[in-house]
Amino acid sequence: MIPSDHFTRFYNEVFKFLEDQGEEHLEAYWLEISKNQEKHTLELFKEKGLKGMYEYWDHIRIEENCDMDLKLDDEKLELRMNVCPSLSKVLDNDAEPMKRYCDHCAGWIGPLIDKVDHHLVYDVIDRNKPQCVVKIFKDKEKAIEEEKNAKLLMGWPKKKK
Amino acid sequence: MTWRLVKPILQENLYIKVNKNNLDQKLRYNDGGNVHMDFHGATNTTIKFIIDKYGIDTMNDIFKKVGNNVYKNIKDHIKKGNIKMLAKHWQHFFERENADYNISINDEEIILTVNRCTAYEHVRKLVGNVSPNFCDQTIKTNEALAEDTPYEIKTEILGEAACRQTIRKRA
Repeated sequence: MIPSDHFTRFYNEVFKFLEDQGEEHLEAYWLEISKNQEKHTLELFKEKGLKGMYEYWDHIRIEENCDMDLKLDDEKLELRMNVCPSLSKVLDNDAEPMKRYCDHCAGWIGPLIDKVDHHLVYDVIDRNKPQCVVKIFKDKEKAIEEEKNAKLLMGWPKKKK
Repeated sequence: MTWRLVKPILQENLYIKVNKNNLDQKLRYNDGGNVHMDFHGATNTTIKFIIDKYGIDTMNDIFKKVGNNVYKNIKDHIKKGNIKMLAKHWQHFFERENADYNISINDEEIILTVNRCTAYEHVRKLVGNVSPNFCDQTIKTNEALAEDTPYEIKTEILGEAACRQTIRKRA
């Protein structure tokens, strides 16, 4: 058994293999993970919108030992990851970290948020630091405006224009 | 040959042995906090995805990299003859995942018997159908850990969610 605690280091090995095959291979995998995540998020996000997203990430915050602040208001959900356990483990690793490890997060979250007609702004800030800011908006124009403030804005497969 | 069940006393036993041998007794990855069992579901999805698209050899190569590179520290200990570090790793993570297991140690070998693998059970509960290659993560990672060392690690699947893993000196 690869312990669940070590999943991200296994994930990192998978990413490195797929990156060597080409970008479309990596994106196909992110979409597969996204589809997998739909099983326990899609209905919740559709039914409760931002509140459902808050519930999901609040559960993740606890279960994955994230140092993360969550803020919900009528217009948006904001996740401020102060210390990301996923990237932290990949960096604290005897195997080589994939340089674009952070990209997978927007890679699976983006398509899911598109499906529930909300708008994701994913600022990774710096791929070498385990921190990021994620904002999910109800209103598309507000998301577009917010994108201008991002230091390192992430995209994802088939991102809605 | 004297055998003992070591689940309750392994920690102390290892501590004494490791200090006697003047080896670093700390696990390289020593996680604490909550356990996110859903990651096993993502492992199952990944195994299916990689095998469907690239074949089983590719999946096995990735597990080999996990054994050789991610677990380089344990492998280095095995090379030096300190196989108890692997037992300590087993104990730490099977304990964290609340599995039903026991570990037996004697001078020649260490046997981990998993009566109820909570990773397997969690995936079955989560998605219903566990990949027939789910346990390859254990088999292939173990093989890589033992490769180029004086030891072999044999993984026997005893049934659904049950296995026996034995590390002993090669004949």
